[in-house]
Amino acid sequence: MAEELKINPLRKYLREDKLPHFFCAGCGCGQVLNYYLQALDELKMDPEQMLHMGGVGCTARIPIYIKTDMFHGVHGRTLAWATGVKMVRPDLPVVIFAGDGDLSSIGGNHWIHACRRNLDVTVVMVNNMNFAMTGGQVAPTTPEESKTMTTPYGSSEPRFDVCSLAVAAGATHVERWTTAHPVQCKKAMERALQHKGFSLIEIVSQCPTHYGRYALKTGDPVKTMEYIQSVTYLKEQGEKMTVQEKEGKLALGQFVCEDKPIYIGSNMEL
Amino acid sequence: MSIIRANQLDAWEKRVDTGVHFMLGNYALVEGAISAGCNFFAGYPITPANEISERMSQRLPQVGGKFVQGEDELCSIFALAGASLAGAKVMTATASAGYNYMQEGLGYCYTIEAPVVVADVMRTRGDNFASYADVYQLRYGCSGDYEAIVVCPSSVQELYDYTIWAFNLAEKYRNPVIVMSEATISLMRERLEIPSADKIEIFNRKYTTAKPSEYLPFGAPENGCPDFAPLGKGYNTIYSLNPHNEKGGIDWDPDDFERLYKRVCGKIRENADEICRTEQYMMDDADYVIVTYGSEVRPSIDAAKLAREEGIKVGVVKLCNIWPVPETAIREVAGNVGKIFAVEMNIGRYCNEIARVAAGKCPVVPVTKNRGQIHTSAELLRVIREETK
Amino acid sequence: MLQFPQRISLCGFGGQGIILSAVLLGTAAVTKGGLYAVQTQSYGSEARGGQCQAELIIDKGPINSPVAETKNLLVAMFQTAYEKYIPILDEDGVLVIDPQLVTNLVRPIANTFAVPATQIAVDLGNRMAANMVMLGFLSECLGLLKAEDLLEAVKDQVNPRFVELNLKAVQAGIDYAKDNNLYYHG
Repeated sequence: MAEELKINPLRKYLREDKLPHFFCAGCGCGQVLNYYLQALDELKMDPEQMLHMGGVGCTARIPIYIKTDMFHGVHGRTLAWATGVKMVRPDLPVVIFAGDGDLSSIGGNHWIHACRRNLDVTVVMVNNMNFAMTGGQVAPTTPEESKTMTTPYGSSEPRFDVCSLAVAAGATHVERWTTAHPVQCKKAMERALQHKGFSLIEIVSQCPTHYGRYALKTGDPVKTMEYIQSVTYLKEQGEKMTVQEKEGKLALGQFVCEDKPIYIGSNMEL
Repeated sequence: MSIIRANQLDAWEKRVDTGVHFMLGNYALVEGAISAGCNFFAGYPITPANEISERMSQRLPQVGGKFVQGEDELCSIFALAGASLAGAKVMTATASAGYNYMQEGLGYCYTIEAPVVVADVMRTRGDNFASYADVYQLRYGCSGDYEAIVVCPSSVQELYDYTIWAFNLAEKYRNPVIVMSEATISLMRERLEIPSADKIEIFNRKYTTAKPSEYLPFGAPENGCPDFAPLGKGYNTIYSLNPHNEKGGIDWDPDDFERLYKRVCGKIRENADEICRTEQYMMDDADYVIVTYGSEVRPSIDAAKLAREEGIKVGVVKLCNIWPVPETAIREVAGNVGKIFAVEMNIGRYCNEIARVAAGKCPVVPVTKNRGQIHTSAELLRVIREETK
Repeated sequence: MLQFPQRISLCGFGGQGIILSAVLLGTAAVTKGGLYAVQTQSYGSEARGGQCQAELIIDKGPINSPVAETKNLLVAMFQTAYEKYIPILDEDGVLVIDPQLVTNLVRPIANTFAVPATQIAVDLGNRMAANMVMLGFLSECLGLLKAEDLLEAVKDQVNPRFVELNLKAVQAGIDYAKDNNLYYHG
């Protein structure tokens, strides 16, 4: 007897006509989409009643596959869009999917100011440590000494710690996990979706096609994930680690979660 | 019907300051925007446009609108795109150097057909003197295929009137509209008569009546523009800069690609006669004509009067908008006069468009000045005398 | 009564309220007098902190060219500004100066009036009101605008804290013309 065909319960959120997706085999973006849809489902939030945004890049394509209203296609400007939308429709939940280049390089100015203002949006930043869609160039998040398509002799620039920067700029909910932390990612996204104010969830993710092949000399997704595991540590573990042990590594966990007034634009009641 | 009267707006009595004023040009532009129903403004400081932001920050909260000072011009223009798609009537103001930065966002607005109004108080490079050097940038600044609408007020009164016109055009054609100004009229105080609210015609965008399952976000009649759907109500629209089909899906099919850009351009090009406005002065018996736009209209009318005192029959055609080119009006004039004087405050730009449209029917003499000031009537008279000997 | 189009230049140094004076004259002409007016000012780096000039054209009908190449009234409240703008005054134009601040006249103008506006304002308790003394004088001496229209414009446009002082200053300017029988009969 043939087994009954089981349909993934999250499939109802997807635009079927957009499938198959365009992500490379082994890319972390599919995992991130999965964790996100689980979080929505858990909270019973309907993406059709929300607005999603993606700028330009692999990560920016994630919400293309969700049945929702969506802005797409301009590099780095998602938070500027969101600033306008939120002034007119403060009721509308806005979730932004941005790559590390989209958010912290070309969109860096909008990002720090959105943090400062505590704009009421959720940003899911997938950090794959390079510009992937354009072919694997160096990004502000690329670890020092990494070889990429534009740092053939190794990168000589220090990288951003995106979460520390967001906290310093005034974001009120900031967490970092990796694609190898499905439960933590889902829970972090649930907290972000319920948080009133600026939420940043950074997910360190594998790009086997570019960062894997050029910097790690492997196109294997598992080996790329193992590398990510070797350069990250839980924030709590970090308390027992020496400065040398933490050198070149990223802490995982929640860095801030606090209530502060959100940005509402000009008003006469101050 | 989407035409309403200003007195049907919320708090309209606070929006329309009916009466006779002696007002700064930049303020008159703001009053025009508020009368037209503007409820969102984002801007970044730049001289000589600052009075626009300053007055907007005061006026918008009074009428339930929102003002944002962005971190840069990119924030301003993209915040406009977001607010416009979220349902607001939106505006920003900048000056030449700031307008450069906005090309990226304007390109997005042209492509996804977001109504936005941008005031460009044009200036010389690096300083705040008057100039119309950027008339081509207003038309060709962005990448991609699109058509611009640019209106050119020549007085404080027109800064008010044309700003309302700009909002109506933006809403009607789902297109960015630029209000082109410059320091002379923006920083000038002049008589402004604000009519009563019931005399002001306002056009609001159309929203779809289709069910989400039947809605085509970029489906429209030939040379028309699509109806909007509200955000977050199940219409699941993708507003992407990438080529998109009628359903809004990103689509690289050359047929869809061609259809989209033909319509985005055609809705302006093919409706140019409906969009364009010109005004004529002393044209009944004119042997020569000055064709000009913006603040240069002012000395041109004086110069034509002075020339007539000397027996030289000069008329003036004022181009109320420069893009799309008011071709019908220019062509007609070119067939009826001996010479066109193309007066402008730059090294000679729009004269090329006038010559193209005149197509040899009569000579077009560029009368240009790029010295940070508009022409004086005496300067224009000298050229007229010389060229009509 | 100054002939139309009235082509006026008010000059002095930054902080004397030169531009406000021009705005008040224009406001009174347009909103009270039913006239047309265009007011422009010198701006840009060259005008900051130093000399300051406001130009005003008042006419019975719409005004095209916003700047008149020559003036029929020059009001000068500082020597260097006077020297810069005196060449563009018509031969038969009117010159009004504050004699304490414009001490060296380089070009004879038949219709010259000296009004110690700054001293009168100091006597009223605030030298900042000199521009208002000048406006009162222009109203009375030249018939440039009706005194009641000017007083109305002051009430509408000036910071409420200074309205009383400014109204007194305008009146002092009017009185100065009356007391000294200074009237223009051009």
